[in-house]
Amino acid sequence: MNESAKPVLVIGGGIAGMTAAVEVAEVGYPVIIVEKEAYLGGRVMRTHQYFPKMCPPTCGFEINIRRIRQNPRISVHTLATVEEISGNVGKFRARVKLNPRYVTGEHSIDDSITEKLTSERDNDFNLGLDKTKALYLPHKMAYPHEYVLDREALSAAETDTLTEICPDGAIDLDMKEEELEIDVGAVIVATGWRPYDATRLDNLGYGQFSNVVTNVMMERIASSDGPTGGEIVRPSDGNTAENVAFVQCAGSRDENHLPYCSAVCCMGSLKQVRYLREQNENAKATVFYIDIRTIGRLEKFYYDMLDDSNVSFVKGKVAKINEDSASGNLTLDVEDTLARETHHDHFDMVVLATGVVPNSADTPIPLDLKYDEYGFIDGATDIDGVFAAGCTRHPCDVARSTKDATAAALKAIQCLNRG
Amino acid sequence: MTTPLADSGKPILVEPDLDFIRAIRDHGGDSLKKCIQCGTCSATCTITPDHDPFPRKEIAWANWGMKERLFASPDIWRCYQCNDCSVRCPRDARPGDILNIVRRECIQHYAFPRFLGRWLNQPHHIPLLLGIPAALLALTMVVRDPIESVLGIEKYDSQHIIYSYSSLFPHWVLNTFFLSLTALVIITFVISVARFWSAMKDAASHERIAKPQKNLFPSIMSVLKAVVKHDKFNLCDDAKSRFLPHFLLVFGFVSLVITVTWMVTARYNPVILIDFKYPLAFLNPWKMLANVGGIAITVGCLLMIRDRLRNSGRAGFGNYFDWSFLLNVLIVALTGFAAELMHYLRLEPHRHVVYFVHLVFVFTLIIYMPYTKFAHMVYRTAALVFIEHFGMNSDEPDSPAGNRSCGKPEVMDDVQETATV
Repeated sequence: MNESAKPVLVIGGGIAGMTAAVEVAEVGYPVIIVEKEAYLGGRVMRTHQYFPKMCPPTCGFEINIRRIRQNPRISVHTLATVEEISGNVGKFRARVKLNPRYVTGEHSIDDSITEKLTSERDNDFNLGLDKTKALYLPHKMAYPHEYVLDREALSAAETDTLTEICPDGAIDLDMKEEELEIDVGAVIVATGWRPYDATRLDNLGYGQFSNVVTNVMMERIASSDGPTGGEIVRPSDGNTAENVAFVQCAGSRDENHLPYCSAVCCMGSLKQVRYLREQNENAKATVFYIDIRTIGRLEKFYYDMLDDSNVSFVKGKVAKINEDSASGNLTLDVEDTLARETHHDHFDMVVLATGVVPNSADTPIPLDLKYDEYGFIDGATDIDGVFAAGCTRHPCDVARSTKDATAAALKAIQCLNRG
Repeated sequence: MTTPLADSGKPILVEPDLDFIRAIRDHGGDSLKKCIQCGTCSATCTITPDHDPFPRKEIAWANWGMKERLFASPDIWRCYQCNDCSVRCPRDARPGDILNIVRRECIQHYAFPRFLGRWLNQPHHIPLLLGIPAALLALTMVVRDPIESVLGIEKYDSQHIIYSYSSLFPHWVLNTFFLSLTALVIITFVISVARFWSAMKDAASHERIAKPQKNLFPSIMSVLKAVVKHDKFNLCDDAKSRFLPHFLLVFGFVSLVITVTWMVTARYNPVILIDFKYPLAFLNPWKMLANVGGIAITVGCLLMIRDRLRNSGRAGFGNYFDWSFLLNVLIVALTGFAAELMHYLRLEPHRHVVYFVHLVFVFTLIIYMPYTKFAHMVYRTAALVFIEHFGMNSDEPDSPAGNRSCGKPEVMDDVQETATV
């Protein structure tokens, strides 16, 4: 082992980045995680449960967060972005921008304080399904477990109120953006993904009809710390969703949107059908699909679901969704291609299985990397010492993401040891 | 289990006709193999019925080379190629354009004699196809004098010899010539449509529809009404722009057919007893009707060419089949006007050359009608009548029968069966 090894820079603190960091650090090398959000955990943290064991993230992440917290070799920068990387393998230099949190962390803040505020912001952790105060804890499990101030959401009138209600020195409104120069030996890019913008699927009514939600929203709706306390209800009137349609390939495998298969949405929807059915024995679910793509042993999950008489599978891609404005109910136009019948079926809620877009498509890494036409980066990038993992490489589930991360960790360690 | 493989509940052995698949791909349907059978096209289409919708199943048949099954489907003729389906298609397989090519293949398939159907789609046959009418017309110029003297036909037009085209072709020649051609075309069409009809009937008997639901005459009448109204074009926003050119072409053509029929029959009609003095004056009502018809055709053709070049109305650029017909019609109209104009201007002897060219193209248009895009008029009408006759229109998209709940047990069985295969 090279005791004087430079750290590994991990860009992105989601499941892939966290795994890579833990793997590198537990072999004995230093790691720096740079995460743009105020907390670690990324997209997986926002699920209700995840494969393969259907754990809630509170369970699955707890162990990872403890490994990070207890390991002195890992340093974490949240609200941070990598602005520039220069140099080459073994001697990269990265410039990291640290955005102000405005919360010093020296005095404790709790909800009894933030309740006194009226300024609110859209809760991006819940995908805008509810609001938080301008001073907020990102979510209950957040690591670092610290409040954040959304300076833009705080009204001018409440700026003074805030300093009055918080303990002295807890808030620093003059906190400035900082920059950090770090020397690293290798870089792991794990910047993750975002869901495809469903408002671009103009025929499916997302953004126009409130009871059309996306799969990522459904995770929050079903989650016990989500906006509805875990009750699957319609956004329009809060009524229990009794008859839900799951629209697969909403923008995926589609030349007009994402030409590729996102690989996770079939299992995602099957999982969400189970949330619905576990919660409400009368609830009905219909899955409209082109092909149900379940990988390996996950196919059993699908077969078990076929035995549920309240769950229907219709082979056909939904072409159009219309809303009955009075009831908020939705009508789906779709050909059942096995029965050769066009249906115009009614549902009280629709979940669109939107696909995976790599964040690197919108926010390129400040390195001269090759992207494929959709913005993904090959695992072994064309720059020595830079490796991609998880959804930066390809759309994938948690299990594949962690395997990717472990592989990237090994490659990074090899770079540090070249001597 | 109902799948596209088994119309009658029995499995069908698919024997792909590779030449047919190749023909579709070679004539602009190279997107055919992109189809993943998702059904977006059928669910998007505003014309398809809910029961047994199109065009997804037709694209499957085309992909499997099931030529005979496709050619027996009246559904391919319901489509007006508005291309809503092609725009929405997630794989860019362009089902609307594929159906257009399938219709072309269908016309060739039922053509009698079949080799003519092939020739009309091969550009290298143009000299031969134009040469036949040119030679026949030239022949009539040689043999007319001997025939006239043998049969003692009065040279009715000789007094107008300077002003009319009769010096080139007397009316008896033209009438005999074109009447026999028209008869030939009608016979050919009767044979072709009889083949088409019996194929459709045969296919329908394997499906759920077996007996006629409506009498033939009312079926024909309701189809003709729809044709006159051109209302299908208006079902789709983007195809609306195609209403006018098609309407102009159809009504220009109808007005010319009426005029010609009148001119040919009137002078022999003892009841009417109209004294014809050729050429008709410009302000003669019949001349005016013919001129209006000619203008309608010219404008219609030019608009269609513009639309094809710009792809407005989403009909696409089209292929040889579309263009050869369109240009033939345009040349007929333009040479007709040129001959008329040169005649008024007394441009000798050029006007005779133009008139000869005009007649060659008129001849081409008529005699090859059963093999060119012109034939769509007959096939579409026959298919639509068949659909009415056999009640295949009973579940139009806007009918209340459309609202069925899904998740039927048999659908579940299908899924399981497919999934376990």
